Amino acid sequence: MNTTERKLVRMMADTFLKLDHIKKYFGGVKALKGVSLEVRSGEIHCLAGENGCGKSTLIKVISGAHDATEGEIYIEGSKIDKLTPIESIRLGIQVIYQDFAVFPNLSVAENIAMNRALMTGNKKMNWKEARELALQAMEQIGAHMDPDVLVERLSVANKQMVAICRAIINDAKLLILDEPTTALTANEVEKLNTIIRNLKAKGMAIVIVNHKLDEIYKIADRLTILRNGENVATGMITEFDRARFVKCMTGHEVADTIYRPEPSDEEIVKVENLTKKGAFEQVSFCVKKGDMLGITGLLGSGRGEIGDALFGIAPAEEGVITLNGKKIEIHSIQDAMQHKIGYVPEDRLTQGLFMNRSICQNTVAASIAKYLGKMGLNHNKMKEITNYWIKTIGCAAPSAEATMRTLSGGNAQKMVIAKWLNTEPSLLILNGPTVGVDVGSKADIHAILHNLAKKGIGVIIISDDLNELIHNCNKLIIMKNGRTSGVLETGDMSEAELTGLLNSGM
Amino acid sequence: MSKKVKHILATNEAIVVYIIIALCTLIGIVNPAFFGVSTVITLSRAMLITLIFATCEMIVIISGGIDVSFPAVACIAMYSTIRFLLAFEIDSPVIAYLCVSVIGLLFGALNAYLIAKIKLPPLIATLGVSSVANGATLAFLGTKEISNIPEKIDALSKVFILSYTNPQGITYQLTVMFLIPLCMILAAFYILKYTMLGRGIYAIGGDKNAARIAGFNVTKIQFIVYMTSGLFAGIGGLTYTILMRQASPQSLMGSEMMVIAAVVVGGTRITGGHGTMIGTVLGVLLIAIVQNNLIMLGIPTHYQTFVVGLIIVIGTSITSLRAKKIANSAKV
Amino acid sequence: MEKSKKFFKEADKNTLALFGIAIMIFAIMGIFAPKSFLGIANLQGMCIQFPEYGILALGMMLAMISGGIDLSLVGIANFSSIVGSIVMIKTGGSGISILFGIATALTVGALCGLFNGFLIGYLRIPAMLVTLCGLQLYTGLGLAVTKGPALTGLPESYSLLANGAFFGVPIALIIFLVVVGCVSYILKATVYGQQVLYMGTNDVASRYSGINNLKVTMKTYLTGGILGAISGVLMASHYNSAKADYGSSYTLLTLLIAVLGGTDPDGGKGRVAGVAMAVVVLQLVSSAFNIMRVNAFVKTFVWGLLLLVIMIITKLVENRRKEA
Repeated sequence: MNTTERKLVRMMADTFLKLDHIKKYFGGVKALKGVSLEVRSGEIHCLAGENGCGKSTLIKVISGAHDATEGEIYIEGSKIDKLTPIESIRLGIQVIYQDFAVFPNLSVAENIAMNRALMTGNKKMNWKEARELALQAMEQIGAHMDPDVLVERLSVANKQMVAICRAIINDAKLLILDEPTTALTANEVEKLNTIIRNLKAKGMAIVIVNHKLDEIYKIADRLTILRNGENVATGMITEFDRARFVKCMTGHEVADTIYRPEPSDEEIVKVENLTKKGAFEQVSFCVKKGDMLGITGLLGSGRGEIGDALFGIAPAEEGVITLNGKKIEIHSIQDAMQHKIGYVPEDRLTQGLFMNRSICQNTVAASIAKYLGKMGLNHNKMKEITNYWIKTIGCAAPSAEATMRTLSGGNAQKMVIAKWLNTEPSLLILNGPTVGVDVGSKADIHAILHNLAKKGIGVIIISDDLNELIHNCNKLIIMKNGRTSGVLETGDMSEAELTGLLNSGM
Repeated sequence: MSKKVKHILATNEAIVVYIIIALCTLIGIVNPAFFGVSTVITLSRAMLITLIFATCEMIVIISGGIDVSFPAVACIAMYSTIRFLLAFEIDSPVIAYLCVSVIGLLFGALNAYLIAKIKLPPLIATLGVSSVANGATLAFLGTKEISNIPEKIDALSKVFILSYTNPQGITYQLTVMFLIPLCMILAAFYILKYTMLGRGIYAIGGDKNAARIAGFNVTKIQFIVYMTSGLFAGIGGLTYTILMRQASPQSLMGSEMMVIAAVVVGGTRITGGHGTMIGTVLGVLLIAIVQNNLIMLGIPTHYQTFVVGLIIVIGTSITSLRAKKIANSAKV
Repeated sequence: MEKSKKFFKEADKNTLALFGIAIMIFAIMGIFAPKSFLGIANLQGMCIQFPEYGILALGMMLAMISGGIDLSLVGIANFSSIVGSIVMIKTGGSGISILFGIATALTVGALCGLFNGFLIGYLRIPAMLVTLCGLQLYTGLGLAVTKGPALTGLPESYSLLANGAFFGVPIALIIFLVVVGCVSYILKATVYGQQVLYMGTNDVASRYSGINNLKVTMKTYLTGGILGAISGVLMASHYNSAKADYGSSYTLLTLLIAVLGGTDPDGGKGRVAGVAMAVVVLQLVSSAFNIMRVNAFVKTFVWGLLLLVIMIITKLVENRRKEA
């Protein structure tokens, strides 16, 4: 063993942060029920778990934003009694949130240098120093940006670079990244991983919150999985195979209900050479009766843009769309809806739901004109139909009048689907239909979709959940840099094969 | 042409400069006498009060808020001070300015409390405070105009720092009061650009939540911003009274429109986070030129409100569209 | 019995509280100044006054529900009534010319509203800025047309509109009730009414639900413009003249009424019944002030104070609910 290796081993053994049975209650809600976590200097530690498992609460405890109800926190071996946000920063903990918390109206240099100035309590703004500091930080991670450009003009990946630069100039010892890859393209993820590995080599402890298996395998040294506010497993990444990982995440064995319909000749929707410059090119596919078509690809591959184009949010420029034997043109959302196309958007909270309105109002939002009678809108009929959907779709809702806010993610998503079913769609496009949905509801939603497909409604699922796609779609399109693989029959394709296809040059 | 020069030539400030140059050329053609020292003095005098108010309004808007209460605050601070001085026969400019400052600060603190602590929408909070201040002035302090301003204070209006007599023998004089907005502008420029407090104002205007995470004391900054606004309003009110040589409890009411317009025309984004002192000065200058020279351009006075309104609509549309264009432009 | 139960169920707590306050004012003033307060003259006087700003407040409420604000209503009211009055005078002042003038005023109001809606919905300039500029612009237009002084010489019979009575019921009150009925119907029973609520709650989700936000915004400010014009017609009839700066205190008042009536300045929430009740309460307070010979300026003071106090209470209650 040479000296560098020995040094590395010693560093690996240095525990930077230790959480011991952390509990956090919000009123009666137990967000964390005794979570223990150990993060060592010079390691990349992944924190995985489904939505609502307590990951973000745990991060907030570490960053000092939340006070733990019970439990002990040790940093570099010494017990911390009360961790405040500023104390946490002083101890070398830096969090990069999902929205990066950068200032869009300020320049790159100022964004990067600002935290340092705040930490030192400097009252003056030194522009020259800020610029130098920014250039230094950017050099450290190998980023190249004009320090004078305003952050509002940066791409998502570069905004993240700014956030990372800002974190590392404060002598960070522990860097926490909250779902850093959700908005990055494949190339950008690669670049980010390189940067993270470099920081690790410098002895920094790194915690990455993520739940995508492939990405975790690429970068993590160790893994901790949370479920329902408890940690269910911790260990070296090599100790986890896919089956164990999924079981730890969901608490269930994966039930293999594979949807493979009888072949049919009845064409529901046919898309030929759909093109939108800068987003996707020459996309062609056909959905026949009973088919479930999946569209996948990494972020920025154009997978979401196809959905946006078919629903008229960002219409395509060229191509022919045939729906139930009729050629249609889609230039706006109104066009799409006239042709009975429905769209379950990616971001349920901001795009799909009216959180402060009742379930009933949410259900009829896209089909309100149906209830216009001679005497104006018929509110009773709306309530009836809502109750009908709550029952049909299996939503656990107290009543039609309860506000949307009271529903869980899975139930809320069911109502978004009900909103579109109530428009009697010919084609339903779902972008990430089960993101942040619990396992039970996930299965329900898939069953609903299978039924729709059998009834002759076109169903297109856009997703990055490969497992979901393999089990539910009999046809698949893989997008890469705006181009398609052509339609693949999933048949008995395995997830590993699909992963291979996804990352291959095609 | 280098990228930097190109960038400077396309800023909001540059666009306002172009408009000002075009307008001045137009006025100059109609009236060659426009180009002269007299115009400079007249315009400086016309801009004086607006500059004071525009400076504080700009700071508030950059911080992501808005303040429509400053005319009412200016009136109540100035009017109550004058009444107080007259009642106790105090004749000291220093005490007068001290009084208006304190009253202005108090109202600013009230605004800040409502916005930063109670979290009311700034427009509604300051509109409410405006109404309270204005109502209190008229109901409890009186409605009469006071023209017997204490002598020493009144005398300030006759101190000049610049005097110019044109060939026709008309003398133009620039009052010493002009130093007040000048100092305010320089101070605001320095604070906004070169102190962490100033950068904090931009930061909370850009993203309050991010500012909180970064470690700014958002509440404290908001208090400073609105209290500064109140302070400037009070000083502006007294300065106005000295210039007019009479104290009227309502004379400044309604001036908020023009001030907000000048700030926005100068490139400050109404949604917060963007704006420069130079831009605001240019915006005030543009509106002062328009107001002062409409008659010269053959536009009757009763069209003035409309024309100014039109300029504001066009000016704000341009700034909003530019912001929209930046938001939609390709990212780097 | 069933009906009254339903009434109480549908009216929210805010409206009921206002109703209670109104009855209290009636009771107190009825005891202390029965003759002057409950006299026919005072009651009629009140009924002539509040429709003017009550109708404006409904326009403000609509804009606020949509997630915006409309500060230009008073400007629209004056400008449209000025144009309408000119038409009335120019066409001779007969009955038909009065109708023609009113129609013109409503058209002008609608156009002003459309202009607001275009800037807000299409150019996406913040509503606050657009309507603040709009106030200046429309007032300026009014000044440009009248050259400053009030426009007089309106037909005598025109003044009956605001000052007259129909079987003892002031016509202005009837107009107000009709407008309240219409706006209430629009919000409750039309597709647009639901869409504006959706848009005010979450404009992204409403777009993704196929609601045409531009159209809804245009319709909102168009309706606001028409309501402004109706109020302008009433004002002109009330004073039997039109002027560019009538009712300059109404902007604050309408904002106060809208908020008092339970409208959420963040959008997505507002009730016609609440706003109508708030109008009545404010008129009662105002009238009580007049009878007690309180300085008119105290009213401005009290209105501002009320606005702040109500907003503070609403916020505090909201915060407490969030914590619970």
